[in-house]
Amino acid sequence: MICRILVVDDETGFTKLLKMNLEKTERYEVRVENDSTKALNAAHEFLPDVVLLDIVMPGMDGGDVAAQMQDDPLLQSIPVVMMTALVSQEETSQDAVAQAGAMNILPKPVNLEVLLRCLEEVLAKKN
Amino acid sequence: MENNEAQLQGLDDPASGSAQSDFGRHSREVAYLEAVIDNLPVGLFAKDASDGFRFVLWNKKQEEITSIPCEQALGKNDHELFSPDSAAYFRQVDELVIARKRKFEVSEEIVDTPESGEVWLHTIKVPIDDVEGQRTLVVGISEDITEQVHASEQLAALNENLTEANQELKTTQLQLIQAEKMESVGRLAAGVAHEVKNPLALLLLGVEYLSGGIDPCDPNVEEILKEMREAVDRADKIIRGLVDFSSQRQLEMEPTQLCDLVEHSLLLVRHELKKDNIEVVTRFEKDLPDLKLDSAKFEQVLVNLLINAVHAMEDTVKPKLEIILSSAKLEGIERDEGLRTADHLRNGDEVVLLKLKDNGGGISEENLQKIFDPFFTTKSTGIGTGLGLSVVRKIIELHNGGIDVRNRLLGGVQITITLKVPARGGNELT
Ligand SMILES: Nc1ncnc2c1ncn2[C@@H]1O[C@H](COP(=O)(O)OP(=O)(O)O)[C@@H](O)[C@H]1O
Ligand SMILES: [Mg+2]
Repeated sequence: MICRILVVDDETGFTKLLKMNLEKTERYEVRVENDSTKALNAAHEFLPDVVLLDIVMPGMDGGDVAAQMQDDPLLQSIPVVMMTALVSQEETSQDAVAQAGAMNILPKPVNLEVLLRCLEEVLAKKN
Repeated sequence: MENNEAQLQGLDDPASGSAQSDFGRHSREVAYLEAVIDNLPVGLFAKDASDGFRFVLWNKKQEEITSIPCEQALGKNDHELFSPDSAAYFRQVDELVIARKRKFEVSEEIVDTPESGEVWLHTIKVPIDDVEGQRTLVVGISEDITEQVHASEQLAALNENLTEANQELKTTQLQLIQAEKMESVGRLAAGVAHEVKNPLALLLLGVEYLSGGIDPCDPNVEEILKEMREAVDRADKIIRGLVDFSSQRQLEMEPTQLCDLVEHSLLLVRHELKKDNIEVVTRFEKDLPDLKLDSAKFEQVLVNLLINAVHAMEDTVKPKLEIILSSAKLEGIERDEGLRTADHLRNGDEVVLLKLKDNGGGISEENLQKIFDPFFTTKSTGIGTGLGLSVVRKIIELHNGGIDVRNRLLGGVQITITLKVPARGGNELT
């Protein structure tokens, strides 16, 4: 079964390569949204199995997007994985992130193997 | 003294055979003249050029200056009174005066005296033919300028001390500026690291993709390599930006495009701007002239101002930063309340204006007077040091520019930096 992943991150090059890598496994179908203010719309249209969210983004940050998903009955059951290039522990354990119910936080640069394992775990838990 | 009188009389001996009463009046006049000569506040002497330049006149002040009494001087020449070097020099001048039949002025000459040591003199010598035209005298007036010379030597020494102290102050200021910059570098480091991690993340994904084996028919490969190349450039650019920024150099003024500096500075604070979701609008006039700037120091100015704006807009709903570059001819430097301007610029100067507008909380009238003071801050420790604007002002002064900080009508702060365009071909900003 092919799972659907929505990637929300303003880094266009990074998301392009992430999509290529994930789709190369032939297990995922990926949709990219570089504008975080359009993330909710994209989620409604695409109805992904999991959302990959960058934290630091212009417009709306990852915490905001996750919080709005929590408030949305259609989206609140979709698991979220956060990615961040932030450096210190204290920055990544920000309250907003924790409260937004993100199940996992991955550091950038992200190791593909770690990411794939994480996605599998999240999807397994969901089903 | 007798001798002196005799010589004086010899000079002005009236025609022989005059009446007794004439003689009486004459000797009274001589005495009067002698009194005048002896009371002159300058040294007066005369030498007989036709008699081996022996002294025939030597007044009181001359005795005082040289500490050689009149009796000892009269009838002698310079070689018998002064050191060989001095004497030779005096003789040379005397002969010049006689040969040219003209006045000669020595503004500073030095005489070795037995009692007062070295004495500095300002001397004027003139040739005078005596009444019968048989002898030619060299008459000299000497003023003792030893004190002035010493005073000006002291002044020169003081001046040197002052120059040294000034230099030291300048060095200290540059060290302070550097210290403040390293402080900013520390603060910017996390943001810069974040900015570098993004291209690194892309590179890692590229490597992952390609390490599965490269399929020559895969259209993604070319795309991935292009992205990876760009990512390396981007990481390099931002790291180099930080390294250039932290470089410790003395002031190095070079022709610079201000818009490039603005772009570089924005890159350094990109993470902070993005994190707080700040909209940045830049409007640069086309073909702005080059300015003579120290780019690392000027980036420090911009980074400080940008970070201040970021801090000020923390509670702003739609934070927006505008940066405008334009050229102008300076006129009517206004002086409003709340306006602080350094005065190196003049009306009529061709200038480039940099305006930076934020829509943050603004500055109260009271604080506006203090923002340039070192250590004045309204921020908590760890966020503000209060050194930013004082360093900004110092650096702008070093560039002979001006800075003006004022509140905007609808909230926020507008900062205007005025920089002179160097005259074409000239380099006055050194
Ligand atoms: N753009 C601005 N908007 C509002 N206040 C400002 C702005 N820039 C500077 N200030 C005020 O001036 C003070 C001094 O600034 P600065 O010398 O840079 O020190 P610091 O930023 O470390 O406090 C700040 O604490 C702040 O109160
Ligand atoms: Mg500051």
